[in-house]
Amino acid sequence: MSGGVYGGDEVGALVFDIGSYSVRAGYAGEDCPKADFPTVIGVTIDRDDGSTPMETDGDKSKQSGTTYYIDTNQLRVPRESMEVMSPLKNGMSKYSVCWKSLNVFLTIYWNTRAKREKLTELMFEHYNIPAFFLCKSAVLSAFANGRSTGLVLDSGATHTTAIPVHDGYVLQQGIVKSPLAGDFMSMQCRELFQELSVEIIPPYMIASKDPVREGSPASWKKKEKLPQVTRSWHNYMCNCVIQDFQASVLQVSDSPYDEQVAAQMPTVHYELPNGYNCDFGAERLKIPEGLFDPSNAKGLSGNTMLGVGHVVTTSVGMCDIDIRPGLYGSVVVTGGNTLIQGFTDRLNRELSQKTPPSMRLKLIANNTTVERRFSAWIGGSILASLGTFQQMWISKQEYEEGGKQCVDRKCP
Amino acid sequence: MATGADVRDILELGGTDNDGPISKKDLINSDKKKSKKATETLTFKRPEGMHREVYALLYSDKKDAPPLLPSDTTQGYRTVKAKLGCKKVRPWKWMPFTNPARKDGAIFHHWRRMAEEGKDYPFARFNKTVQVPVYSEQEYQMHLHDDGWTKGETDHLFDLCKRFDLRFVVIHDRYDYQQYRKRSIEDLKERYYNICGKLTKVRAASGTEPKIYIFDAGHERRRKEQLEKLFNRTPEQVAEEEYLIQELRKIENRKKEREKKAQDLQKLIKAADTTTELRRAEKRVSKKKLPQKRDTEKPAVPETAGIKFPDFKSAGVTLRSQRMKLPSSVGQKKIKAIEQILAEQGVDLNPMPTEEIVQMFNELRSDLVLLYELKQAHSNCEYEQQMLRHRYEALLKAGSGAGCGGLTGGGIAGVPQGGDLSALNSTASSTPGVEAQSWPNVDDIKVEPKEQIIDVVGAPLTPNSRKRRESASSSSSVKKAKKP
Repeated sequence: MSGGVYGGDEVGALVFDIGSYSVRAGYAGEDCPKADFPTVIGVTIDRDDGSTPMETDGDKSKQSGTTYYIDTNQLRVPRESMEVMSPLKNGMSKYSVCWKSLNVFLTIYWNTRAKREKLTELMFEHYNIPAFFLCKSAVLSAFANGRSTGLVLDSGATHTTAIPVHDGYVLQQGIVKSPLAGDFMSMQCRELFQELSVEIIPPYMIASKDPVREGSPASWKKKEKLPQVTRSWHNYMCNCVIQDFQASVLQVSDSPYDEQVAAQMPTVHYELPNGYNCDFGAERLKIPEGLFDPSNAKGLSGNTMLGVGHVVTTSVGMCDIDIRPGLYGSVVVTGGNTLIQGFTDRLNRELSQKTPPSMRLKLIANNTTVERRFSAWIGGSILASLGTFQQMWISKQEYEEGGKQCVDRKCP
Repeated sequence: MATGADVRDILELGGTDNDGPISKKDLINSDKKKSKKATETLTFKRPEGMHREVYALLYSDKKDAPPLLPSDTTQGYRTVKAKLGCKKVRPWKWMPFTNPARKDGAIFHHWRRMAEEGKDYPFARFNKTVQVPVYSEQEYQMHLHDDGWTKGETDHLFDLCKRFDLRFVVIHDRYDYQQYRKRSIEDLKERYYNICGKLTKVRAASGTEPKIYIFDAGHERRRKEQLEKLFNRTPEQVAEEEYLIQELRKIENRKKEREKKAQDLQKLIKAADTTTELRRAEKRVSKKKLPQKRDTEKPAVPETAGIKFPDFKSAGVTLRSQRMKLPSSVGQKKIKAIEQILAEQGVDLNPMPTEEIVQMFNELRSDLVLLYELKQAHSNCEYEQQMLRHRYEALLKAGSGAGCGGLTGGGIAGVPQGGDLSALNSTASSTPGVEAQSWPNVDDIKVEPKEQIIDVVGAPLTPNSRKRRESASSSSSVKKAKKP
């Protein structure tokens, strides 16, 4: 559309937001990504004895070598010897998507210079895209919420980070990271189940199950003729179950964890795929408490970890004093881990305690799941479809003239 | 609550509020009436698109046209409808374009109307940049040399300024610390504005006075330091500051009260003196001097002392005894006191209202009231003096080690004239705290109490004191009989 009310001008671009838990992809100008799939790949290595894996791709299986499976449809089928790995370990993405005719807009949360340059090189050399732009996900999250200045608190799967954004630029000196996030929660849940001596059985193994009373051990029948699955894949599937438990049961308490108060909270009933069901009361408050008060959490080496409130205040404290009111006035909360019930209320409380009373504190947290998980992608979609953005792409010509260092100059 | 007009509106009956309650006829034959009434009631109808309740806020049932200026409501309250034209559809085309704001002339594609093919890219005009001055090597060597900054560093700074459009916060964040030294934002700004200023001066045509932006780095640093301190205040410090401000306010209030009371007392005393003077002056010069003198002296009597009898100026016939009536402003206690004294002296409470008697009687009662007030003030002062003395002795006995001598003076100083114990307690306890912070000078406190004591109790030192004592003694017979 040309011009229009919002200053938009679509040139046809793809927006990718690669996170550690999921990848969001779609077209610029839309309000939610078309594809949202986990950031894991199933890899099978063809064996020489001729056993071919079952898949829908048909001809491609003839190639000997590694085959990759992406997206839940292909990923969650039990295959023999399929290893699960994250493509992000070495920073290279293995997704082969037809990018030739469209411009690619990528957002990523890590920002070491070497990796960015390598990514640019990959895009232009390997995939031959016409234009490319790399942006930090914190900036886009802020844009998606209508702010160009603010403190972006992103609590995802692998870490919780507080990133100050000023006028559309990330202040790198003020970034504070903490590893206490979604994966940490999953680990704690796993330990809880171990303590309760409950086995996590992913659904693919279950042929049938009988209803049992609360708390009593499950009674279920295993599926026959299951292929030999690898350990990593099995772990992955168990993780899925735990993540479901985590999302539905856990809650953050309003005030610092107190035994008596927790005991009085209403319990939530949850049933595992194998039929084991139980009421969870105090545990559901205790586990997420580790996010805000790491001294509570089990299995943490030393107390050097920062709780979420501390992460935010430290980050703001490292910034220039003139912009601090601006940062506190728009604290943007994003990330899937923040969708735990009670997270934003508790964060609000902690921050209002820690900031001086004259400081205006405003927390911006969208209520819908879509907006919080995909806010970086949405910001990218907005940015890539603006008329005034079209001068900022790194075109193939510029790349050829300037080399991969141009990404540092053009993508702040 | 739905009013008649609301119901009409909902049912779209039309018609003004003159029609009275809605009857069955309106509803059943409504279709006939609608067309007729719609044309008549133009002025009172709410604009289309405005909600009923909003309109009701403005113009309620019984009122006439509102006294507001009629505004154009066609703009705001319209539900936007799609304007579907009947013309032919203008075709769009996926066409390539170049963005003049780009340096490389890359070609992108987008959808545009065929009619606009070839026109400029509309968003190119938003490409504005900040003007960052560029200096040559020569200029640098000649004018911009500085000990703290190497050429490389200055170049790096200017490069960042250009890239980030003079956003110094971001520039400071992206500054290369490994290669160059660690600089604060003020350092960067200082260097930048210095160079800009020098360049404008050097490049300006001779004779013109260029306007240079002066950046005060010292001031900025101090300001930021202070902000940091303010930001890092603990809640205890904030509470302490609030407490101190409150204390200050309390002290100021007490001071005002004291001054007020002292003033009142002064007025009273003055009144007493002037009345006695007046009397004597009158007796002496009643026959010899002109009556004008009396008029000039009379206004000196303050109004608050004694009773002011209203001057009765009414048309027609009045009774002289009206002038003898006590005004209602005189309090109950005073009335009682007057009556008591008059009774004791054997004076008739309501004498025969002859001219002379009326005047003298009024004066007498005024004097009695004045006397009563003076007595009260005197007893108050005596009571306070007693209390202060006791307090002083108590403080002397208790904990009066070395160095508390000043404190006791301070303790007395802080005493409010109101004489309530609680206030005394608080000031006595606050002064040790005050001492601990070495906040106001103990010397100051010492000096002040003397003045205050003089204010309150220093009757013997005022100019009219002799006369006051005399006036007091003249009514001493009255005084003995009456006890406060």
